[in-house]
Amino acid sequence: MDLLLAAHIVKNGLLIGGIYGGVALGLSLIFGVMRIINFAHGSLLMVAMYLAWFLWKTLGLHPYVAAFITVPALFGLGYLIQSQIISHLFTREKALVVEPLSALLLTAGIFLVLDNLVLMIFGPDVRAVSVDIAYANFFIGEIPVNIPRFIAFVASIVVASGLSYWLKHSNMGRAIRATAQNRDAATMSGINVPFIYNVTFGLGVAILGLFGALLVPFFSITPTLGLSFGIKSFIVVVLGGIGSIWGCVVGGIVLGLFEAVASQFVTATSAAIFSFGLFIVILLVRPKGLMGKA
Amino acid sequence: MSSNKALEVRNLSAGYGDANVLNGISFDVPPSSIVALIGANGAGKTTFLRTVSGLLPMRSGEVKLYGKSLGDMPAYKIVEAGFALSPEGKQLFPEMSVEENLIVGAHNPNARKVRDETKREVFDLFPILKEKRNDPANSLSGGQQQMVAVGRALMAKPKVLALDEPSLGLAPIMVDRLFESIERIRQLDLAILIIEQNVFQVLEMADAGYVLENGEITISGSGQELLANEHLKKAYLGL
Repeated sequence: MDLLLAAHIVKNGLLIGGIYGGVALGLSLIFGVMRIINFAHGSLLMVAMYLAWFLWKTLGLHPYVAAFITVPALFGLGYLIQSQIISHLFTREKALVVEPLSALLLTAGIFLVLDNLVLMIFGPDVRAVSVDIAYANFFIGEIPVNIPRFIAFVASIVVASGLSYWLKHSNMGRAIRATAQNRDAATMSGINVPFIYNVTFGLGVAILGLFGALLVPFFSITPTLGLSFGIKSFIVVVLGGIGSIWGCVVGGIVLGLFEAVASQFVTATSAAIFSFGLFIVILLVRPKGLMGKA
Repeated sequence: MSSNKALEVRNLSAGYGDANVLNGISFDVPPSSIVALIGANGAGKTTFLRTVSGLLPMRSGEVKLYGKSLGDMPAYKIVEAGFALSPEGKQLFPEMSVEENLIVGAHNPNARKVRDETKREVFDLFPILKEKRNDPANSLSGGQQQMVAVGRALMAKPKVLALDEPSLGLAPIMVDRLFESIERIRQLDLAILIIEQNVFQVLEMADAGYVLENGEITISGSGQELLANEHLKKAYLGL
Protein backbone atom coordinates (compact mmCIF):
# COMPACT_ATOMS: atom_id res chain seq x y z
CA MET A 1 0.00 0.00 0.00
CA ASP A 2 1.47 3.36 -0.90
CA LEU A 3 2.35 5.72 1.88
CA LEU A 4 0.07 8.59 0.91
CA LEU A 5 -2.95 6.30 0.79
CA ALA A 6 -2.01 4.88 4.18
CA ALA A 7 -1.76 8.39 5.60
CA HIS A 8 -5.23 9.18 4.22
CA ILE A 9 -6.67 6.09 5.82
CA VAL A 10 -5.09 6.86 9.17
CA LYS A 11 -6.34 10.46 9.04
CA ASN A 12 -9.89 9.37 8.18
CA GLY A 13 -9.84 6.70 10.85
CA LEU A 14 -8.52 9.08 13.50
CA LEU A 15 -11.07 11.78 12.74
CA ILE A 16 -14.14 9.58 12.60
CA GLY A 17 -12.82 7.48 15.51
CA GLY A 18 -12.37 10.51 17.74
CA ILE A 19 -15.95 11.49 16.93
CA TYR A 20 -17.20 7.97 17.77
CA GLY A 21 -15.40 8.31 21.09
CA GLY A 22 -16.99 11.69 21.82
CA VAL A 23 -20.45 10.45 20.92
CA ALA A 24 -19.99 7.42 23.18
CA LEU A 25 -18.82 9.43 26.24
CA GLY A 26 -22.33 9.90 27.59
CA LEU A 27 -23.18 6.22 27.21
CA SER A 28 -20.05 5.33 29.16
CA LEU A 29 -20.74 7.90 31.88
CA ILE A 30 -24.34 6.77 32.34
CA PHE A 31 -23.42 3.10 32.39
CA GLY A 32 -20.45 3.70 34.70
CA VAL A 33 -22.53 5.55 37.28
CA MET A 34 -25.99 4.04 36.99
CA ARG A 35 -25.37 0.60 35.45
CA ILE A 36 -28.00 1.43 32.84
CA ILE A 37 -27.39 0.60 29.19
CA ASN A 38 -29.15 3.49 27.51
CA PHE A 39 -30.54 1.94 24.36
CA ALA A 40 -31.91 5.34 23.32
CA HIS A 41 -28.39 6.87 23.22
CA GLY A 42 -28.15 7.04 19.42
CA SER A 43 -31.73 8.28 19.11
CA LEU A 44 -30.94 11.18 21.42
CA LEU A 45 -28.03 12.09 19.12
CA MET A 46 -30.51 11.94 16.23
CA VAL A 47 -32.86 14.28 18.13
CA ALA A 48 -29.97 16.70 18.74
CA MET A 49 -29.11 16.64 15.04
CA TYR A 50 -32.73 17.35 14.06
CA LEU A 51 -32.81 20.20 16.57
CA ALA A 52 -29.62 21.70 15.09
CA TRP A 53 -31.03 21.28 11.59
CA PHE A 54 -34.37 22.80 12.61
CA LEU A 55 -32.66 25.83 14.18
CA TRP A 56 -30.62 26.30 11.01
CA LYS A 57 -33.66 25.84 8.75
CA THR A 58 -36.06 28.12 10.63
CA LEU A 59 -33.83 30.71 12.30
CA GLY A 60 -30.78 30.43 10.08
CA LEU A 61 -28.58 29.64 13.07
CA HIS A 62 -25.16 28.26 12.21
CA PRO A 63 -24.86 24.79 13.83
CA TYR A 64 -21.92 25.97 15.94
CA VAL A 65 -24.14 28.71 17.37
CA ALA A 66 -27.05 26.29 17.69
CA ALA A 67 -24.85 24.20 20.01
CA PHE A 68 -25.52 26.81 22.71
CA ILE A 69 -29.17 25.77 22.49
CA THR A 70 -28.85 22.05 21.73
CA VAL A 71 -26.54 21.36 24.71
CA PRO A 72 -28.85 22.79 27.43
CA ALA A 73 -31.92 21.44 25.61
CA LEU A 74 -30.52 17.91 25.55
CA PHE A 75 -29.39 18.23 29.18
CA GLY A 76 -32.97 19.08 30.06
CA LEU A 77 -34.31 16.20 27.97
CA GLY A 78 -31.91 13.74 29.64
CA TYR A 79 -32.73 15.09 33.10
CA LEU A 80 -36.45 14.68 32.38
CA ILE A 81 -36.10 11.16 30.98
CA GLN A 82 -34.23 10.08 34.10
CA SER A 83 -36.32 11.93 36.68
CA GLN A 84 -39.73 11.21 35.14
CA ILE A 85 -39.34 7.80 33.48
CA ILE A 86 -36.30 5.77 34.50
CA SER A 87 -36.29 6.87 38.15
CA HIS A 88 -39.39 4.74 38.78
CA LEU A 89 -37.22 1.67 38.39
CA PHE A 90 -35.06 2.89 41.28
CA THR A 91 -37.75 3.82 43.78
CA ARG A 92 -39.13 0.37 44.53
CA GLU A 93 -38.77 -0.19 48.28
CA LYS A 94 -36.24 2.69 48.37
CA ALA A 95 -33.62 0.03 47.70
CA LEU A 96 -31.90 1.94 44.88
CA VAL A 97 -31.11 -1.13 42.86
CA VAL A 98 -32.32 -1.52 39.33
CA GLU A 99 -32.76 -4.61 37.19
CA PRO A 100 -30.43 -4.23 34.18
CA LEU A 101 -32.99 -5.92 31.94
CA SER A 102 -35.88 -3.64 32.89
CA ALA A 103 -33.72 -0.56 32.31
CA LEU A 104 -32.66 -1.88 28.91
CA LEU A 105 -36.27 -2.55 27.91
CA LEU A 106 -37.40 0.84 29.17
CA THR A 107 -34.71 2.73 27.23
CA ALA A 108 -35.47 0.56 24.17
CA GLY A 109 -39.03 1.86 24.50
CA ILE A 110 -37.73 5.42 24.62
CA PHE A 111 -35.68 4.69 21.47
CA LEU A 112 -38.82 3.51 19.63
CA VAL A 113 -40.86 6.50 20.77
CA LEU A 114 -38.18 9.04 19.78
CA ASP A 115 -37.47 7.49 16.37
CA ASN A 116 -41.14 7.28 15.45
CA LEU A 117 -41.96 10.69 16.86
CA VAL A 118 -39.28 12.28 14.69
CA LEU A 119 -40.44 10.22 11.70
CA MET A 120 -43.98 11.49 12.32
CA ILE A 121 -42.96 15.13 12.65
CA PHE A 122 -40.23 15.45 10.00
CA GLY A 123 -40.98 12.52 7.69
CA PRO A 124 -38.53 10.00 6.27
CA ASP A 125 -36.69 12.47 3.99
CA VAL A 126 -32.94 12.89 4.30
CA ARG A 127 -32.12 16.34 5.65
CA ALA A 128 -28.88 18.22 5.45
CA VAL A 129 -27.49 21.46 6.75
CA SER A 130 -25.45 23.29 4.15
CA VAL A 131 -22.88 25.65 5.55
CA ASP A 132 -19.68 26.81 3.88
CA ILE A 133 -17.43 25.30 6.50
CA ALA A 134 -18.47 21.81 5.37
CA TYR A 135 -16.01 22.00 2.47
CA ALA A 136 -13.18 23.82 4.22
CA ASN A 137 -9.88 21.96 4.55
CA PHE A 138 -6.44 22.57 5.88
CA PHE A 139 -3.40 20.56 4.85
CA ILE A 140 -0.90 18.52 6.78
CA GLY A 141 1.75 18.07 4.10
CA GLU A 142 -0.25 16.71 1.18
CA ILE A 143 -3.09 15.38 3.31
CA PRO A 144 -6.26 17.49 3.37
CA VAL A 145 -8.03 17.63 6.73
CA ASN A 146 -11.71 18.54 6.69
CA ILE A 147 -12.20 21.37 9.20
CA PRO A 148 -15.66 20.51 10.66
CA ARG A 149 -14.55 16.90 11.18
CA PHE A 150 -11.37 18.17 12.83
CA ILE A 151 -13.41 20.47 15.09
CA ALA A 152 -15.60 17.54 16.17
CA PHE A 153 -12.47 15.46 16.80
CA VAL A 154 -10.93 18.20 18.95
CA ALA A 155 -14.25 18.57 20.78
CA SER A 156 -14.06 14.90 21.79
CA ILE A 157 -10.64 15.39 23.34
CA VAL A 158 -11.70 18.62 25.05
CA VAL A 159 -14.93 17.15 26.43
CA ALA A 160 -13.14 14.00 27.63
CA SER A 161 -10.44 16.08 29.37
CA GLY A 162 -12.95 18.48 30.88
CA LEU A 163 -15.19 15.67 32.07
CA SER A 164 -12.42 13.69 33.72
CA TYR A 165 -11.02 16.80 35.40
CA TRP A 166 -14.46 17.80 36.66
CA LEU A 167 -15.24 14.30 37.92
CA LYS A 168 -11.93 14.26 39.78
CA HIS A 169 -11.92 17.71 41.35
CA SER A 170 -15.41 19.14 41.83
CA ASN A 171 -17.76 18.33 44.70
CA MET A 172 -20.44 17.20 42.27
CA GLY A 173 -17.92 15.12 40.33
CA ARG A 174 -16.73 13.42 43.52
CA ALA A 175 -20.33 12.74 44.48
CA ILE A 176 -20.94 11.18 41.05
CA ARG A 177 -17.88 8.93 41.40
CA ALA A 178 -18.85 7.99 44.96
CA THR A 179 -22.35 7.08 43.78
CA ALA A 180 -20.86 4.97 40.98
CA GLN A 181 -18.62 3.05 43.38
CA ASN A 182 -21.11 2.41 46.18
CA ARG A 183 -24.55 3.98 46.05
CA ASP A 184 -25.67 2.89 49.52
CA ALA A 185 -22.51 4.37 51.05
CA ALA A 186 -23.06 7.52 48.98
CA THR A 187 -26.57 7.85 50.41
CA MET A 188 -25.24 7.31 53.92
CA SER A 189 -22.65 10.04 53.27
CA GLY A 190 -25.44 12.54 52.67
CA ILE A 191 -25.43 12.45 48.86
CA ASN A 192 -28.82 12.91 47.19
CA VAL A 193 -28.43 9.89 44.92
CA PRO A 194 -31.62 10.36 42.83
CA PHE A 195 -30.49 13.92 42.05
CA ILE A 196 -27.00 12.68 41.12
CA TYR A 197 -28.65 10.22 38.73
CA ASN A 198 -30.71 12.98 37.12
CA VAL A 199 -27.64 15.16 36.65
CA THR A 200 -25.52 12.27 35.35
CA PHE A 201 -28.13 11.27 32.81
CA GLY A 202 -28.63 14.90 31.81
CA LEU A 203 -24.89 15.35 31.39
CA GLY A 204 -24.48 12.19 29.33
CA VAL A 205 -27.24 13.37 27.00
CA ALA A 206 -25.98 16.99 26.93
CA ILE A 207 -22.73 15.72 25.34
CA LEU A 208 -24.92 14.38 22.51
CA GLY A 209 -26.39 17.87 22.19
CA LEU A 210 -22.89 19.14 21.43
CA PHE A 211 -22.03 16.40 18.95
CA GLY A 212 -25.41 16.67 17.25
CA ALA A 213 -24.62 20.28 16.39
CA LEU A 214 -21.00 19.49 15.43
CA LEU A 215 -21.97 16.57 13.16
CA VAL A 216 -24.69 18.18 11.03
CA PRO A 217 -22.32 20.19 8.77
CA PHE A 218 -20.95 16.94 7.30
CA PHE A 219 -23.50 14.29 8.21
CA SER A 220 -26.94 14.00 6.60
CA ILE A 221 -29.87 13.37 8.90
CA THR A 222 -32.55 10.68 8.86
CA PRO A 223 -34.89 9.51 11.65
CA THR A 224 -33.19 6.11 11.70
CA LEU A 225 -29.55 7.14 12.07
CA GLY A 226 -29.74 6.75 15.85
CA LEU A 227 -29.55 2.98 15.95
CA SER A 228 -26.28 2.66 14.07
CA PHE A 229 -24.67 5.38 16.22
CA GLY A 230 -26.06 3.76 19.34
CA ILE A 231 -24.62 0.37 18.47
CA LYS A 232 -21.27 1.88 17.50
CA SER A 233 -21.19 3.76 20.80
CA PHE A 234 -21.86 0.51 22.60
CA ILE A 235 -18.97 -1.17 20.76
CA VAL A 236 -16.73 1.80 21.61
CA VAL A 237 -17.62 1.64 25.31
CA VAL A 238 -16.98 -2.10 25.52
CA LEU A 239 -13.77 -1.74 23.49
CA GLY A 240 -12.38 1.00 25.69
CA GLY A 241 -13.50 -0.39 29.03
CA ILE A 242 -16.84 0.38 30.61
CA GLY A 243 -16.92 3.55 32.66
CA SER A 244 -13.48 4.75 31.54
CA ILE A 245 -13.55 8.24 29.98
CA TRP A 246 -10.22 7.95 28.15
CA GLY A 247 -10.95 4.34 27.30
CA CYS A 248 -13.94 5.69 25.44
CA VAL A 249 -11.81 8.00 23.26
CA VAL A 250 -9.23 5.26 22.67
CA GLY A 251 -11.98 2.74 21.87
CA GLY A 252 -13.50 5.20 19.40
CA ILE A 253 -10.19 5.73 17.64
CA VAL A 254 -9.51 1.98 17.45
CA LEU A 255 -12.95 1.44 15.91
CA GLY A 256 -12.48 4.38 13.52
CA LEU A 257 -9.07 3.15 12.31
CA PHE A 258 -10.35 -0.39 11.97
CA GLU A 259 -13.30 0.76 9.86
CA ALA A 260 -11.12 3.01 7.73
CA VAL A 261 -8.75 0.17 6.94
CA ALA A 262 -11.56 -2.32 6.35
CA SER A 263 -13.36 0.03 3.98
CA GLN A 264 -10.33 -0.05 1.69
CA PHE A 265 -11.07 -3.68 0.97
CA VAL A 266 -14.87 -3.84 1.12
CA THR A 267 -17.65 -1.28 0.75
CA ALA A 268 -18.21 1.03 3.72
CA THR A 269 -21.50 -0.66 4.62
CA SER A 270 -19.95 -4.13 4.72
CA ALA A 271 -17.15 -2.72 6.86
CA ALA A 272 -19.66 -2.74 9.73
CA ILE A 273 -19.43 -6.54 9.67
CA PHE A 274 -15.76 -6.19 10.55
CA SER A 275 -16.59 -3.81 13.42
CA PHE A 276 -18.86 -6.43 14.93
CA GLY A 277 -16.16 -9.03 14.33
CA LEU A 278 -13.69 -6.85 16.24
CA PHE A 279 -16.26 -6.42 19.00
CA ILE A 280 -16.65 -10.18 19.41
CA VAL A 281 -12.89 -10.75 19.39
CA ILE A 282 -12.39 -8.10 22.10
CA LEU A 283 -15.16 -9.60 24.23
CA LEU A 284 -13.49 -13.01 23.98
CA VAL A 285 -9.88 -11.90 24.45
CA ARG A 286 -10.19 -8.92 26.77
CA PRO A 287 -13.71 -8.64 28.21
CA LYS A 288 -12.74 -5.71 30.44
CA GLY A 289 -11.92 -3.58 27.38
CA LEU A 290 -8.64 -1.97 26.37
CA MET A 291 -8.41 0.38 29.36
CA GLY A 292 -10.81 -1.30 31.75
CA LYS A 293 -9.58 -2.53 35.10
CA ALA A 294 -9.32 -6.28 35.34
CA MET B 1 -32.83 21.71 70.34
CA SER B 2 -34.56 21.79 73.72
CA SER B 3 -34.88 18.02 73.85
CA ASN B 4 -32.67 16.14 76.25
CA LYS B 5 -32.77 13.13 73.97
CA ALA B 6 -30.28 13.02 71.13
CA LEU B 7 -32.15 10.15 69.52
CA GLU B 8 -35.64 9.04 70.46
CA VAL B 9 -37.05 5.85 68.95
CA ARG B 10 -40.75 5.18 69.52
CA ASN B 11 -42.65 2.01 68.51
CA LEU B 12 -40.57 1.62 65.37
CA SER B 13 -41.57 -1.13 62.97
CA ALA B 14 -39.86 -1.99 59.70
CA GLY B 15 -39.09 -4.95 57.50
CA TYR B 16 -38.70 -6.42 54.05
CA GLY B 17 -41.53 -7.70 51.87
CA ASP B 18 -44.32 -9.28 53.90
CA ALA B 19 -42.22 -9.82 57.01
CA ASN B 20 -41.75 -7.34 59.82
CA VAL B 21 -38.22 -7.50 61.18
CA LEU B 22 -38.74 -4.83 63.85
CA ASN B 23 -41.93 -4.99 65.91
CA GLY B 24 -42.33 -1.67 67.62
CA ILE B 25 -39.06 -0.94 69.41
CA SER B 26 -38.54 2.08 71.67
CA PHE B 27 -35.43 3.49 73.33
CA ASP B 28 -33.48 6.72 73.79
CA VAL B 29 -29.92 7.84 73.25
CA PRO B 30 -29.10 10.75 75.59
CA PRO B 31 -26.65 13.47 74.43
CA SER B 32 -22.93 12.72 74.90
CA SER B 33 -23.61 9.11 75.80
CA ILE B 34 -22.65 5.75 74.39
CA VAL B 35 -25.59 3.41 73.95
CA ALA B 36 -25.16 -0.21 72.89
CA LEU B 37 -27.70 -2.21 70.93
CA ILE B 38 -27.06 -5.92 71.30
CA GLY B 39 -28.59 -8.88 69.58
CA ALA B 40 -27.90 -12.11 67.75
CA ASN B 41 -27.63 -12.27 63.97
CA GLY B 42 -31.06 -11.74 62.46
CA ALA B 43 -32.43 -9.91 65.52
CA GLY B 44 -32.94 -6.77 63.43
CA LYS B 45 -29.96 -4.58 64.36
CA THR B 46 -28.90 -3.74 60.82
CA THR B 47 -32.53 -3.37 59.72
CA PHE B 48 -32.93 -0.85 62.52
CA LEU B 49 -29.95 1.21 61.35
CA ARG B 50 -31.00 1.05 57.70
CA THR B 51 -34.47 2.27 58.70
CA VAL B 52 -33.21 5.18 60.77
CA SER B 53 -30.82 6.10 57.93
CA GLY B 54 -33.73 6.27 55.51
CA LEU B 55 -32.49 3.38 53.34
CA LEU B 56 -35.53 1.35 54.34
CA PRO B 57 -39.00 2.84 54.88
CA MET B 58 -40.51 2.95 58.37
CA ARG B 59 -43.75 1.01 58.63
CA SER B 60 -44.92 2.67 61.82
CA GLY B 61 -43.58 4.55 64.79
CA GLU B 62 -41.31 7.52 64.98
CA VAL B 63 -37.65 8.45 65.21
CA LYS B 64 -36.68 11.90 66.46
CA LEU B 65 -33.29 13.55 66.49
CA TYR B 66 -33.21 16.31 69.12
CA GLY B 67 -36.98 16.52 68.80
CA LYS B 68 -37.00 16.65 65.00
CA SER B 69 -38.81 13.78 63.27
CA LEU B 70 -36.71 11.88 60.73
CA GLY B 71 -39.66 9.90 59.40
CA ASP B 72 -40.46 11.84 56.24
CA MET B 73 -36.92 12.83 55.31
CA PRO B 74 -35.07 11.31 52.37
CA ALA B 75 -31.86 9.54 53.37
CA TYR B 76 -29.48 12.37 52.45
CA LYS B 77 -31.48 14.86 54.56
CA ILE B 78 -31.18 12.58 57.58
CA VAL B 79 -27.39 12.88 57.33
CA GLU B 80 -27.73 16.66 57.08
CA ALA B 81 -30.01 16.64 60.14
CA GLY B 82 -27.21 15.02 62.12
CA PHE B 83 -27.44 11.23 61.99
CA ALA B 84 -24.43 9.54 60.40
CA LEU B 85 -23.86 5.82 60.08
CA SER B 86 -20.61 3.92 59.76
CA PRO B 87 -22.05 0.87 58.04
CA GLU B 88 -21.34 -2.80 58.66
CA GLY B 89 -18.70 -4.21 56.34
CA LYS B 90 -17.17 -0.74 55.98
CA GLN B 91 -18.76 0.09 52.59
CA LEU B 92 -16.04 2.45 51.41
CA PHE B 93 -15.59 3.99 47.97
CA PRO B 94 -12.95 1.42 46.97
CA GLU B 95 -11.22 3.26 44.13
CA MET B 96 -11.08 6.62 45.87
CA SER B 97 -8.19 7.68 48.06
CA VAL B 98 -8.54 7.73 51.85
CA GLU B 99 -8.73 11.51 51.76
CA GLU B 100 -11.40 11.52 49.04
CA ASN B 101 -13.47 9.04 51.06
CA LEU B 102 -13.34 11.47 53.97
CA ILE B 103 -14.16 14.49 51.79
CA VAL B 104 -17.24 12.74 50.38
CA GLY B 105 -18.34 12.16 53.98
CA ALA B 106 -18.56 15.94 54.38
CA HIS B 107 -20.90 16.29 51.41
CA ASN B 108 -23.79 17.89 53.31
CA PRO B 109 -23.70 21.72 53.34
CA ASN B 110 -23.23 22.08 57.13
CA ALA B 111 -20.28 19.72 57.15
CA ARG B 112 -18.70 21.13 53.99
CA LYS B 113 -18.17 24.51 55.64
CA VAL B 114 -15.92 23.02 58.32
CA ARG B 115 -14.50 20.22 56.18
CA ASP B 116 -10.78 20.92 56.59
CA GLU B 117 -11.11 21.37 60.33
CA THR B 118 -13.04 18.10 60.73
CA LYS B 119 -10.49 16.34 58.56
CA ARG B 120 -7.74 17.44 60.95
CA GLU B 121 -9.76 16.03 63.87
CA VAL B 122 -10.14 12.72 62.08
CA PHE B 123 -6.41 12.61 61.26
CA ASP B 124 -5.65 13.34 64.95
CA LEU B 125 -7.92 10.50 65.94
CA PHE B 126 -6.48 8.07 63.38
CA PRO B 127 -2.92 9.22 62.51
CA ILE B 128 -2.41 6.25 60.19
CA LEU B 129 -5.07 7.69 57.87
CA LYS B 130 -3.04 10.86 57.48
CA GLU B 131 -0.05 8.76 56.48
CA LYS B 132 -2.13 6.83 53.93
CA ARG B 133 -4.27 9.75 52.77
CA ASN B 134 -3.39 9.28 49.09
CA ASP B 135 -3.68 5.49 48.99
CA PRO B 136 -6.80 3.94 47.46
CA ALA B 137 -9.20 2.78 50.17
CA ASN B 138 -9.21 -0.83 48.98
CA SER B 139 -5.44 -1.11 49.52
CA LEU B 140 -5.80 -0.64 53.31
CA SER B 141 -5.99 -3.36 55.95
CA GLY B 142 -9.34 -4.26 57.48
CA GLY B 143 -8.70 -2.22 60.62
CA GLN B 144 -7.59 0.81 58.65
CA GLN B 145 -10.66 0.55 56.40
CA GLN B 146 -12.82 0.53 59.51
CA MET B 147 -11.10 3.74 60.61
CA VAL B 148 -11.91 5.30 57.23
CA ALA B 149 -15.56 4.27 57.63
CA VAL B 150 -15.76 5.79 61.12
CA GLY B 151 -13.82 8.85 59.97
CA ARG B 152 -16.11 9.33 56.99
CA ALA B 153 -19.16 9.25 59.25
CA LEU B 154 -17.50 11.82 61.56
CA MET B 155 -16.86 14.06 58.55
CA ALA B 156 -20.64 14.54 58.25
CA LYS B 157 -20.52 16.44 61.59
CA PRO B 158 -23.19 14.23 63.16
CA LYS B 159 -25.00 14.83 66.41
CA VAL B 160 -25.58 11.09 66.65
CA LEU B 161 -22.95 8.71 65.32
CA ALA B 162 -24.08 5.14 64.67
CA LEU B 163 -21.50 2.38 64.38
CA ASP B 164 -22.62 -0.92 62.91
CA GLU B 165 -20.37 -3.81 64.00
CA PRO B 166 -17.18 -1.73 63.99
CA SER B 167 -15.02 -4.56 65.32
CA LEU B 168 -16.24 -7.16 62.82
CA GLY B 169 -13.33 -9.03 61.28
CA LEU B 170 -10.62 -7.09 63.11
CA ALA B 171 -7.64 -8.55 64.93
CA PRO B 172 -7.98 -8.28 68.76
CA ILE B 173 -5.32 -5.57 69.01
CA MET B 174 -7.13 -3.49 66.38
CA VAL B 175 -10.39 -3.95 68.27
CA ASP B 176 -8.77 -2.55 71.42
CA ARG B 177 -7.45 0.45 69.53
CA LEU B 178 -10.81 1.05 67.89
CA PHE B 179 -12.61 1.04 71.24
CA GLU B 180 -10.05 3.50 72.59
CA SER B 181 -10.84 5.74 69.62
CA ILE B 182 -14.56 5.48 70.31
CA GLU B 183 -13.94 6.63 73.87
CA ARG B 184 -12.09 9.62 72.44
CA ILE B 185 -14.86 10.33 69.92
CA ARG B 186 -17.23 10.69 72.87
CA GLN B 187 -15.18 13.76 73.87
CA LEU B 188 -16.22 15.41 70.58
CA ASP B 189 -19.61 16.11 72.15
CA LEU B 190 -21.81 13.73 70.24
CA ALA B 191 -23.95 10.73 71.10
CA ILE B 192 -22.83 7.29 69.95
CA LEU B 193 -25.10 4.38 69.16
CA ILE B 194 -23.07 1.23 68.76
CA ILE B 195 -24.14 -2.15 67.53
CA GLU B 196 -21.71 -4.87 68.41
CA GLN B 197 -21.15 -8.57 68.54
CA ASN B 198 -18.28 -7.89 70.92
CA VAL B 199 -20.82 -7.71 73.74
CA PHE B 200 -18.47 -7.78 76.73
CA GLN B 201 -16.19 -4.99 75.53
CA VAL B 202 -18.98 -2.72 74.36
CA LEU B 203 -20.99 -3.04 77.59
CA GLU B 204 -17.93 -2.13 79.67
CA MET B 205 -17.82 1.13 77.79
CA ALA B 206 -21.53 1.86 77.24
CA ASP B 207 -23.68 4.06 79.49
CA ALA B 208 -26.75 2.07 78.57
CA GLY B 209 -27.56 -1.06 76.63
CA TYR B 210 -30.59 -2.58 74.95
CA VAL B 211 -30.98 -6.19 73.90
CA LEU B 212 -32.85 -6.80 70.66
CA GLU B 213 -34.39 -10.24 70.19
CA ASN B 214 -36.74 -11.16 67.33
CA GLY B 215 -37.41 -7.54 66.55
CA GLU B 216 -38.27 -6.51 70.10
CA ILE B 217 -36.29 -4.99 72.95
CA THR B 218 -36.31 -7.60 75.69
CA ILE B 219 -33.77 -6.33 78.21
CA SER B 220 -32.50 -2.86 78.98
CA GLY B 221 -30.30 -1.27 81.60
CA SER B 222 -26.94 0.34 82.23
CA GLY B 223 -23.86 -1.33 80.81
CA GLN B 224 -22.94 -2.78 84.21
CA GLU B 225 -26.47 -4.06 84.86
CA LEU B 226 -26.50 -5.89 81.56
CA LEU B 227 -23.09 -7.40 82.24
CA ALA B 228 -24.56 -8.87 85.42
CA ASN B 229 -27.77 -10.12 83.80
CA GLU B 230 -28.06 -13.93 83.95
CA HIS B 231 -29.92 -14.36 80.67
CA LEU B 232 -27.45 -12.16 78.85
CA LYS B 233 -24.50 -14.01 80.33
CA LYS B 234 -25.81 -17.31 79.02
CA ALA B 235 -26.97 -16.13 75.62
CA TYR B 236 -24.25 -13.70 74.59
CA LEU B 237 -21.26 -13.89 76.88
CA GLY B 238 -21.01 -17.67 77.00
CA LEU B 239 -20.56 -17.65 80.77
